[in-house]
Amino acid sequence: MRWQFGQTRSQAAERGEGAYPLPADAAHPSSVAASGAPIVEMRGITKRFGPVVANNHVDLTLREGEIHAVLGENGAGKTTLMNILSGMYQPDAGTILIRGRETKIATPADALRQGIGTVYQHFTLVPNLTVIENVALGAEPGFLLDLAAAERRLAQLLTDFELNASPHTEIRHLSLGQRQRVEIIKVLSRGSRVLLLDEPTSVLTPVEVEGLFAILRRLRANGVAVVLITHKLEEVLDVSDRVTILRQGRKIGEIGPEVISSGDRAAIRQRIVEMMFGGAPAEAPSASARASGAANGSTLLALQDVTALGDRGEVAVRGLSLELRAGEVFGIAGVDGNGQKELGEVIAGQRHVTRGRVILDGQDITNKGVAACSRLGIGYVTDDRLGEGCVPGMSVAENTVLKMVTRSPFSKGFWLNRGAIEAEARRLIGQFDVKTPSTATPITALSGGNIQKLLLARELAMNPRLLVCNKPTNGLDLKTAQFVLRTLREQADAGKAVLLISSELDELMQVSDRIGVIYNGQIVGIFERAAADLEAIGHLMLGGRERGVA
Amino acid sequence: MSGRERLRHAAVPFAVSLLAVFLACLGGGLFLELRGKDALHAYQVLIERGLGNPGQRTETLKQMAPLLIISGGLAIALRAGVWNIGIDGQFFVGALLCGIVVPELAGDVPRAIVILIGAIAGLVGGLLWAVVPGILRVRWGLNEIITTLMMNYVALNVTSWLVKGPVRDPERVAPETKQIPLSDRLPDIPGTSVHIGLLAGLLVVVLVGVLFRSTVLGYMFTALGRNRRAAIHAGLPVGRLTLLALLLSGAFAGLAGANDVMGVQGRFSGNWHPEYGFTAFALVYLARLNPFAIIPFAFFFSFLMVGGQSMPRRADVPTYYIGMLEGLMLIFFAATVALERLWSRATRRAPEDAPLAIGAASAAAPVSAESDAGDGAVSAPQNTALSAGETR
Repeated sequence: MRWQFGQTRSQAAERGEGAYPLPADAAHPSSVAASGAPIVEMRGITKRFGPVVANNHVDLTLREGEIHAVLGENGAGKTTLMNILSGMYQPDAGTILIRGRETKIATPADALRQGIGTVYQHFTLVPNLTVIENVALGAEPGFLLDLAAAERRLAQLLTDFELNASPHTEIRHLSLGQRQRVEIIKVLSRGSRVLLLDEPTSVLTPVEVEGLFAILRRLRANGVAVVLITHKLEEVLDVSDRVTILRQGRKIGEIGPEVISSGDRAAIRQRIVEMMFGGAPAEAPSASARASGAANGSTLLALQDVTALGDRGEVAVRGLSLELRAGEVFGIAGVDGNGQKELGEVIAGQRHVTRGRVILDGQDITNKGVAACSRLGIGYVTDDRLGEGCVPGMSVAENTVLKMVTRSPFSKGFWLNRGAIEAEARRLIGQFDVKTPSTATPITALSGGNIQKLLLARELAMNPRLLVCNKPTNGLDLKTAQFVLRTLREQADAGKAVLLISSELDELMQVSDRIGVIYNGQIVGIFERAAADLEAIGHLMLGGRERGVA
Repeated sequence: MSGRERLRHAAVPFAVSLLAVFLACLGGGLFLELRGKDALHAYQVLIERGLGNPGQRTETLKQMAPLLIISGGLAIALRAGVWNIGIDGQFFVGALLCGIVVPELAGDVPRAIVILIGAIAGLVGGLLWAVVPGILRVRWGLNEIITTLMMNYVALNVTSWLVKGPVRDPERVAPETKQIPLSDRLPDIPGTSVHIGLLAGLLVVVLVGVLFRSTVLGYMFTALGRNRRAAIHAGLPVGRLTLLALLLSGAFAGLAGANDVMGVQGRFSGNWHPEYGFTAFALVYLARLNPFAIIPFAFFFSFLMVGGQSMPRRADVPTYYIGMLEGLMLIFFAATVALERLWSRATRRAPEDAPLAIGAASAAAPVSAESDAGDGAVSAPQNTALSAGETR
């Protein structure tokens, strides 16, 4: 047993060890059973936001040495429940027991003191501080910061978590997977016995997901209670001991280790899906329904030897060439940070091309800018919904026309046509089933899935010939994700070209006609879907050599 | 949104600003008491001298004109996420240009034309002074906070040199431009002794209100100010909008200068240093960047300026006490906005997946994702001002 958790800072301090409960030789009782004693019991938790009941008498028990997944659609109340446990919100009713004692968790700092640590979906590290500085931040006692001492104390944790980076690296140079590890290290270094992870895999590549799960399993072996908040069913089944399903604020059911370990994946999956959606989910477009004859369409977009720089001036797209045909979904598979985002931005006219040409239907559109590309029929759905896709503080209706505001009928010369804007927003909300109280609601009051639907609707309303989507299903529940994918497929079937950038191979396999693998700013392989081989694609994504594929 | 919600939407920010004003007066009064002065007496003097008799009320109304004009322009810049700190410089250049042009025309052409040309001179002067920071910002990404601020000193010294030399009225000893004859100054609003600058100010504020309520340009300014990256993503002409916002606010500052020259001073004088810039910032923030809310706050600040002038004699409190009050108002304003945010966060429905949970999460939180809806007033310009320079 490498680590001993569970000391509070004060206990550690009493023993003169400073703040970090780091490897103690005293063997931790390794007899922790797969399902140990309850650490946290939430009983009858109710939380209202105005008229909305986000949590309705929810019970949740977290046990030592157990990985507990909390599943539910967007809006099911998962995040609210976790925010209550992490001290962000106070429940309106219900009690929380920590090790059998009723406890009030007043603030996130309080939660940390009680041994409950949270790793948020959006990380909270300081990008231009080093790993050590980030972990030590706020944890080092006293006025003067002794980083050398902190490093000595953290050395073991850093090795154990296989960070593969010097602790003196600035966070901004780390991959998202590495940053997540730093977050976990930071929380554990404060003695957390309960680890909450909010959508931990949404930013990770498949390999990184495996790495994360390996860590979680080791934590489980050490008796930590791990909570995974997610809607990725498959992953959950891979790693969880226990699953709790929420729907519309209520706890619908719990599946314990005895069932999970029974091994009948199909039956368990079926049961969970029923509990999550109250029925079968929207059916995925079946593979056979898609004739790949469409892929014979004419070339709509050609990139010729395109080079573009990333935000920090590094070469992100490196002499990349690519042809897109009308009527096809072209999937871009790649590990995050290999130039796929920049590729999308180049096509959308949002990023400057330093070399090479971009040609749309015979017309050179290199560096024409977003507005021109948009008028020529290129739509682009960004992966950064809140940061780039919409304007916080503006209403749903105003955000709907963000890209079309200068066009008829939304403006008449100098003047806005509020009536037309309102009508368009209503039309798109209805057509895409966007859940919002009204068109005047601030966009930030919508859930991620609904914002995503609106962003997609906004592009399609402009009737583009070519649609570029960067991770359009990121963080969405199954039903919404399927809706988005189906919509993209329909666009292609209607004769348009779709470039789908995604880190999820399953979804690329589901809708693409061809899949291109991007690595280090170049397309290193293109597969016809029928001939696509997940293993070969994965190999290329990680920088392997091309293995005899066109 | 229902009518009541709409009302609440408008009333809460206003109430927050009033609370800030009240707390500032309270804090300022406490300070006076600690210094051994009679705070109640001081405020009594302030009110009497600001509003006590018709003459004082007229002064207060006259003083509103430049505040309204400047604030209207500043609201455009701040809404678009552009920090124009160069109000004072633009004001001086506009005022000087007006002071040079108008006396030359006076007497030869009808008063209406003279005033029109004077106003244009003011607009052009202020606009020109904003061109350099505007181009530096848009072409090379230089932070306009620094450049506009520095341009103030350049303006101060250049106008001062001009008025001492090349454009000085040779018949006078003091560094002044030629005097504008009374017959060519701004006429009074019929039935009052307040000159028409007040109407011009109200017109500017209303126009800016219409700009944001009903025009494409106003919409684009707001989108740019609240999320610059989204504006780039949507293909809005970000560079041109930034430049235009800066130029418009500069032009209005210059127009305010022309107003003071043609309505009050009668000439540009080297000894004349009204510093409206800071007051306008306080004013526009308290009005939450809402053009229509600028009107009552302009009245209030104008009253403070007029009443404050009598405080040294009548209450033994220096005039800069008013400046201190303005500063306190901004401080309390920031504090009450924070309270308002907490309150609305506690009462609002929190959607799943919205990044409400991030900000306060950890001591190490780098930048909290700014997701609040109703209070973009303060945060929007700050966020973007810090990240000036997105040239790709």
